Amino acid sequence: MNKHLQTGLIHAVLIMFALLTLVPFAFALNNSFRSNTEIYHSFFGMPESVTNAIVAARRVIQSDNTPVDIAETDGTVRSAPPREALRENISLALLNYQRSWALIRPYMINSFVVCAATALGVLLISSVAAYTLSRNRFPGNRVVYYFIISAMMFPGVLTFVPTYMVVRELGLLNTYWAMILPYMAGGQVFAIFVMKGFFDGLPEELFESARIDGAGHLQSYLHIVLPLSKPVLSVVLIMNVIGSWNNFMWPFVTQSDGQYHVIASGLFVLATSAFASSFSTLFAAYMLSSIPLLVVFIYATRPFIRGITSGAFKA
Amino acid sequence: MGSINQDIPLKPSGLSYKLTGALSCYALLLAPLALLGVFVYAPFFWAFAGSLYEFEVGAPAQFVGLNNFAEIFFRDPVIGPSFINMVLITVFMLCVRLTIPLIVAKLIYSLPGERSRYVYRIIFLVPIVVPMVAVQLIWGGMIYADRGLLNELLELVGLGQFTTGWLSNPRTALLACVMVGFPFAGGIEILIYYAGLSGIPQSVNEAAKLEGCVGLRKFFYIDIPMVMSQIKLMLVLTIIAGVQTYENLFILTRGGPGFQTTVPALWMYYNAFSFQRMGYACAIGVCLFVVVFTLTVLNMRYIRSTEELEGAR
Repeated sequence: MNKHLQTGLIHAVLIMFALLTLVPFAFALNNSFRSNTEIYHSFFGMPESVTNAIVAARRVIQSDNTPVDIAETDGTVRSAPPREALRENISLALLNYQRSWALIRPYMINSFVVCAATALGVLLISSVAAYTLSRNRFPGNRVVYYFIISAMMFPGVLTFVPTYMVVRELGLLNTYWAMILPYMAGGQVFAIFVMKGFFDGLPEELFESARIDGAGHLQSYLHIVLPLSKPVLSVVLIMNVIGSWNNFMWPFVTQSDGQYHVIASGLFVLATSAFASSFSTLFAAYMLSSIPLLVVFIYATRPFIRGITSGAFKA
Repeated sequence: MGSINQDIPLKPSGLSYKLTGALSCYALLLAPLALLGVFVYAPFFWAFAGSLYEFEVGAPAQFVGLNNFAEIFFRDPVIGPSFINMVLITVFMLCVRLTIPLIVAKLIYSLPGERSRYVYRIIFLVPIVVPMVAVQLIWGGMIYADRGLLNELLELVGLGQFTTGWLSNPRTALLACVMVGFPFAGGIEILIYYAGLSGIPQSVNEAAKLEGCVGLRKFFYIDIPMVMSQIKLMLVLTIIAGVQTYENLFILTRGGPGFQTTVPALWMYYNAFSFQRMGYACAIGVCLFVVVFTLTVLNMRYIRSTEELEGAR
């Protein structure tokens, strides 16, 4: 009995933590389906369009023909037969999403381009570099390795302004390259560190038997190293995608023209623009901007958790 | 074994092979090193050089020696208060990020079912999908707003006299900024601590149990020393992050009201991109680098990780 009580108590505490953690996001999600008037009139409340749609759907299923309310965005309420009301209410619920998608679509596309280019670039150059450093003896091997990982000691706050000056001198301001190249340069450092540590731990016998079977370095890299290091590769991939997806200040200052704003800087521009008072559009935009990482997350949680739990993260 | 080696020349000896081997290694490392040189090392050294100059718009760079540093230490009235803000923020971040994720990880780890442990780990990881900017804007626009969650809740429970503009009131602005993300349990910190806890050998756990060392005693005398590696990592990462925190402050308050929530890094940003004083901004960056570097070295030297504790035994 004591054991059960203890487990129940732990569950209670954890659920409380989880609820508090998720409350802001739940509120943002809820408000993303409501019109501005609704939000102003009552802060706590379910979105009328969604509740009406549920009522309408129930009546459609039960073939009950009682009319259902439709709360228009201007505050007027009219009634319609369930079938029509269902359709109208669903489109009302998604209205915010339609509006905000029209606003943030260019930002999302820019973010996709930058994230994909950065992540693939980092994976390619750092896995090759880590393999080269880990499985080859050549003069300067250790010097190169320490040269690379020393860069981990440079805080972003020190290099932020001078990197801007370098990018400006190279004429890269207001281009994709202003984001992709510095992100790759920074992202590869940690990637090489983690990957080299992992590659060093792979048993030498594997590579020996591959060599005996006639495999060159390319085959060893493609058929032994890459398949075995999926957890580490996915951690690097996810860290890089999250990093470049979230990076706000750098795109904000290097993309001052606004043509290549990514989602992070774009959301800020949106929230400080004429749309600042249109909470419903903004909340829908926040929710839409979370979907890509949510998809990545759904596909990559297992290898990510495995990768972090493999013990690469300690000092 | 020996015969195989003779049949297939595994490692042909001779200078030519070694040289081409080394050359191809360098070729493969060319791209990372070039990127590193241009976008990491060049800015690193340029920061120190640039801190000795003043760059006026439309005029050649002017060498001013240590004048920028003299201004930081003696003349700039913003640096002092903003440095105090930075220390307060970092200390607060240390207090919450070293404790709460560890406690939550320990609670998850002590659950009996493998399945529920996995589900909780996922739940606490979900918030990382929301972009950082969106999180700050949600808190700024929905929780701290005049008609936001916090004020509405206070009205609801009859504490209407405590409602305030949380981010515009000078007394509450800094506290409101650091409380974003409450209760500080979401994110990968939990996974890192969880990894440490699950890395404790089963023999240690069993020995502790036999000795009657359970509950809080076990947490303080067994678990914490055994996850010292992870605590040390979080300590270093949190200090580095704390000193460099400014994006969230820029989004929430722009450093205001007045300079109530300004930190040196934010002041650096304003100097570089609002006042076009790149040289002075570089100098602030150099000072922050010295702070980060010193604290990191102190950490590495004086806080022992689990491996070092074992080595000392």
